[in-house]
Amino acid sequence: MTELLSIFEYQFFRHAMAAAVLTSILAAMIGTYIVSRKIVFISGGITHASFGGIGMAFYMGLNPFFGAAVFAVLTALGIEWISSRGKVREDSAIAILWSLGMALGIIFVFLTPGYTPNLMSFLFGSILSVGIAELQLLLIFCIFMALFYLVFYRPVVYSAFDPEFSKIMGIPVAFYRYIMAVLIALAIVISIRTVGIILVLSLFTIPQITAMLFTRSFARIIPLAALWGIIGSVAGLYSAYLFDIPTGAAMIFFLTLQFLVIKGIFLIRGLLIRTAA
Amino acid sequence: MSTPLVKLEKVSTGYDSKAVLRDVSLEIHPDDFIGVIGPNGGGKTTLVKVILGILPLFKGRVTFPSGKPKTGYLPQASQIDRTFPISVKELVSAGLKAPNGWFPRLSRKQRQKVNRMLEEAGLENLASKPIGELSGGQLQKAFLCRALINQPQLLILDEPNTYVDKNFEQELYAWLKKLSPDKAIMLISHDIGTITPMVKSIACVNGGLHYHPSNQLTEEVMKVYNCPVDVIAHGPIPHRVLKTHDS
Ligand SMILES: Nc1ncnc2c1ncn2[C@@H]1O[C@H](COP(=O)(O)OP(=O)(O)O)[C@@H](O)[C@H]1O
Ligand SMILES: [Mg+2]
Repeated sequence: MTELLSIFEYQFFRHAMAAAVLTSILAAMIGTYIVSRKIVFISGGITHASFGGIGMAFYMGLNPFFGAAVFAVLTALGIEWISSRGKVREDSAIAILWSLGMALGIIFVFLTPGYTPNLMSFLFGSILSVGIAELQLLLIFCIFMALFYLVFYRPVVYSAFDPEFSKIMGIPVAFYRYIMAVLIALAIVISIRTVGIILVLSLFTIPQITAMLFTRSFARIIPLAALWGIIGSVAGLYSAYLFDIPTGAAMIFFLTLQFLVIKGIFLIRGLLIRTAA
Repeated sequence: MSTPLVKLEKVSTGYDSKAVLRDVSLEIHPDDFIGVIGPNGGGKTTLVKVILGILPLFKGRVTFPSGKPKTGYLPQASQIDRTFPISVKELVSAGLKAPNGWFPRLSRKQRQKVNRMLEEAGLENLASKPIGELSGGQLQKAFLCRALINQPQLLILDEPNTYVDKNFEQELYAWLKKLSPDKAIMLISHDIGTITPMVKSIACVNGGLHYHPSNQLTEEVMKVYNCPVDVIAHGPIPHRVLKTHDS
């Protein structure tokens, strides 16, 4: 036990822990919306398109997160616009943006003169090098998101659930959908730091799906998803340290394992109840 | 003749450039109970969207001679994601306008109103259940609560009998009958038999709209209107359904 705690003497590990907890909370708030509206694929498109921004920013010598944010937000707005018009087949449009983003990212990184040491950290995350400024940004985003839901819970959920009825009730549905698209994009980009582009979406979906085994109320999924997210990612972080494996992958592995175990328990319990009856 | 709540004049509309409704005219008066029938894909739901003002028109106009009426709406079941994590109470609350747009939370009075509505529908024990756990009939009742909670002048129901068993359907219609004296109701159904005894008039929607100012449709009239409804699928029209007996 003391050995497990002794690692907290290292500042980088304290930061990593804080990042895991804050990212889990943020992902719980945003991911519940993503899973409820069944826009996981859209969110995947946003995530991968952002890689184009990272590559371009590298090439132009800008902050890669700035590049990622610009690309992600534009993609999110674009997809929301396409789906509101309902003309182009939405999933094809997403697939195009998805691969275009990845291709652009790779091309620009290739074109960038000199060594690009951070590329892997964008793909797989680098939670162990998270600095205090990033933690502050995460914390601010979490607080903002919580306040946002506190005030706008009704219109956000209703616009997602039944946009036509909400429109009739005078809710500015398009406004809320675009706002949420931007927030999804920004939350994903901030979380890329923790687990990387390839795995970030798991953080926004697996804890939520786990939580939905227990409750089917939007408002209750959020805290429960945060809890499962924190447990899984902290466990992953510890095992990454103990077994010397990549952190992002370990976190997602534990989140998935946790889901499978709980799902299994539910299945067995259901089976027992049925045979007893 | 009373002032109509809604007036459609030679409305043409559709999706993209594909026309679905052509030259549709209709007036809905405060004490109307209109049954809307027509084949699948005939444009019944499209007509509803025109009245609700959520579909742009190609031609014609929709007016509200006595101001925009408070409208309650029960959407077609296929438009609803039943797996969405929202509780019955939250669903019904969606029919209320928050008192303050900037801080859109309900007042305590409004929350009590929701509870009373649920009691009236016999859904109070299901209030915090997610809608996915309800039976078809219970779910439609909850949607009807959402449509009714704001005391609408005009109530539009798009195939409320979908996924509903016959007992429940009768209960639903009994409720509508109770409501009908003080509001205009527009009831859409592809099942003509069950609605004709209640409604006061019938609109047949099949690309165009044919208004029939009584609830007695004869087979001949149906042919003239080119309004096959589900009759084709069910064989000949049972006579007693179409005509109340002249005793
Ligand atoms: N959102 C939409 N986009 C394109 N076409 C649509 C859309 N909704 C309905 N349609 C088409 O319009 C026609 C009428 O549909 P609808 O009004 O739903 O008919 P009904 O309610 O009578 O079954 C159908 O051919 C349908 O395919
Ligand atoms: Mg329809």
